[in-house]
Amino acid sequence: MNVQSAENRSFSRRGFLGLTAAAASVPLLAACGGGSASQGGGGAGGSIKFWDMPWATPAYNDAAKGIAEGFSGAKGGKASYQIIQWANFYQTFSSAIASKTGPAVSTGGGFQAFQFEQQGQIAYADKVIEKLKSNGQFDDFLPGVLDPFKSDKGYVAVPWQLDMRVFWYRKSLFEKANVALPTDWPSLLEAGKALKKIGAVGFATGAGTGNNYANHSMIMMMVNNGGGVFNKDGELDLLNDRNVEAMEFVLELVSNGIVDPAAVSYTTDNMSAQWKDGKAGFGLFQVNVPQRVGDTSGDLLVADPIKGPHGDKATIVFPNNIMMYTNTPSQEASEDFLVYYLGQLKQLWQKKLMSALPVFKSITEIPEFADDPNNVKIVKDWQPIAKTFASQGNTLNANLAALDGGQALNQFSQSIITGKADAKTALQTFQSGLESVLKK
Amino acid sequence: MSSTTAESGLARARRGVAPGGSGTAPGKRKSKLSAQATRTFFWLLLPSVILLVLIHGYPLIEAAIQATHDGNLLQTGNFVGGENFATVLSSAAFWKAAQFTLWFTIVGVFGSWLVGLGLALLLRTKIPAGNTFKVLLLLPWVVPIVVSSTAWNWLVATPDSLIPSIFRNLGLGTPLFLADPTLAAVTVMMFKVWVSFPFMMMMTSAALASVDNTVYEAASMDGASRWQQFTQITLPLIARSTYISWILMTIFCVNDFPTIYLLTGGGPVNATTSLVVLAYRTVFQDFATGPGVAIAFLMTMTLVVISVILYRQIRKSSVE
Repeated sequence: MNVQSAENRSFSRRGFLGLTAAAASVPLLAACGGGSASQGGGGAGGSIKFWDMPWATPAYNDAAKGIAEGFSGAKGGKASYQIIQWANFYQTFSSAIASKTGPAVSTGGGFQAFQFEQQGQIAYADKVIEKLKSNGQFDDFLPGVLDPFKSDKGYVAVPWQLDMRVFWYRKSLFEKANVALPTDWPSLLEAGKALKKIGAVGFATGAGTGNNYANHSMIMMMVNNGGGVFNKDGELDLLNDRNVEAMEFVLELVSNGIVDPAAVSYTTDNMSAQWKDGKAGFGLFQVNVPQRVGDTSGDLLVADPIKGPHGDKATIVFPNNIMMYTNTPSQEASEDFLVYYLGQLKQLWQKKLMSALPVFKSITEIPEFADDPNNVKIVKDWQPIAKTFASQGNTLNANLAALDGGQALNQFSQSIITGKADAKTALQTFQSGLESVLKK
Repeated sequence: MSSTTAESGLARARRGVAPGGSGTAPGKRKSKLSAQATRTFFWLLLPSVILLVLIHGYPLIEAAIQATHDGNLLQTGNFVGGENFATVLSSAAFWKAAQFTLWFTIVGVFGSWLVGLGLALLLRTKIPAGNTFKVLLLLPWVVPIVVSSTAWNWLVATPDSLIPSIFRNLGLGTPLFLADPTLAAVTVMMFKVWVSFPFMMMMTSAALASVDNTVYEAASMDGASRWQQFTQITLPLIARSTYISWILMTIFCVNDFPTIYLLTGGGPVNATTSLVVLAYRTVFQDFATGPGVAIAFLMTMTLVVISVILYRQIRKSSVE
């Protein structure tokens, strides 16, 4: 038995295929679309277009906007300010730059400047460095922060804040577990076991959606053992003995239940909740954790750097930077703006809007920053031993963008913290994965 | 009016000639009208066709170019022919993602259809506040996916989340719904069913509303059981709507990015990576534009084939 209406019969093959094609082409559209539309490099009236990311709370962007709009160039030039969301930010920048509607100056992803430099879109900052030398700001940079940006052709960008990874601990949990703070790997293992006995986590991390802390923890442990993703010549070198040793140690932490078995799916919110709820006893995190997780009890403290089995001490840092683009109404105005903006950065830390270290010594000395003993400890003990993702090499490059947040590293971290693979196999898979995506 | 005049008038009317008109040959007139109509239709359709070509054709061509080059989002790069397709098709990650996409689609389509059908049948019966329930049952479809994925994350992500706590209290251990590869895949599929069943419910409700109750009355009088009425009357009568909803849900599932990405990001260790998630990650995390777009192309081709097969089923159900 069947009943068909005339209306139903009017459903044609052609109409159907049109509908199907429209719906099916979504992924293709998604892969190709995006971007924004406005004037390239310069805003209305030829002003410098400055794009910035939501680096902290909305109050940060309000303050940064105020600074940008306070710019007045030598020839009366102005600057406009625009926030770019982190979601698909590279796509947004790419399509805007391709259509000549991108910014003249911007902040952005840690390795974004090198990606666009490779594509000929970046204006080198050598003249900015010269101006910083003449106004005294150059000598104010913390040691080593500028070097990673120097390429054969010039300075690709200028750092403005340091996203540092340091070990934090909850003092009360260590007291409850009656164990000393770790100073090296064996004591980290012992502390982890003691924390586990009281139901706390001794190596807090997370590898869920959008959470890169497990990735950073893995690389940090390699670097802490004198290893790294690259050798000193910048070539991939994941299977070196130091890396294998470091990953075997992390797997030991995993097998002892010191890493939370659910951490593989933890988002940064899940991780923050673990710190706030007093479940996390020790682990790698960023600057300003108490403010981030909403625990200002004074119980969350920065730990000392720990020593690897061969005596190495190191952590990783992401020097966030400001870059200039070749598409600008005036290169001179871009440079003036960048020098001006760097000179005004202090305001952001004075207003306590930043969750990162400043790059200038003078800012680390202002009371609003130095009053926090955690900040002082990070500057004093951690910043001098901090290395970039390029380690054991020195110079940042475009390939690091595919490493940080790429599929190979993410899969590697997840396979380690789930204990699904031995160190050598996991590193071998990681190396193969990276080789397939890194530009030769 | 004489009978002769009446017959002549009817004949003229059948030919479409007005009283007093001379009447051209019907074939010629039809042909002239048809040519005029064709021209009119052409000009009326032209703006839509241009719009469709711009919206769909341009990205398709651009994507085809990217899939056959080794460039990036800014530069086209060098022509590499089918190399990106070969790379993708020889990759274990692609086939793993294809396998997950298949399961995700099967469970997503039929799971949501079964739940939707069940609820649509339930809501067809006279229950108190039926319309209110109908509105409430639409919520999973209406609520933004970012909100619902966050809610699901709160429910299952950590050992102390609500659902694992319930399992623990029942003495069933502490399942790690997003950390265990198999459980994560099951959780993502359940989430998809939960998000999608209201759509199926609405489609089925609309189809059921068009079924005349007298058909059931007649079947009852003929002694048909409830089950026979369901399988022999209800399902065939809503078959067309069902096939259409399956086609649409298949497309929704294969193209579904947020449901998976927001809940698991494709992990743990790629256990929930579907083809669209793989394409996204390949283009925007590995910055390998060519292989990423090649994956999207292969998905589109597969969808078209599946859709044509299901369309034939619709035609078949029409003939029957």
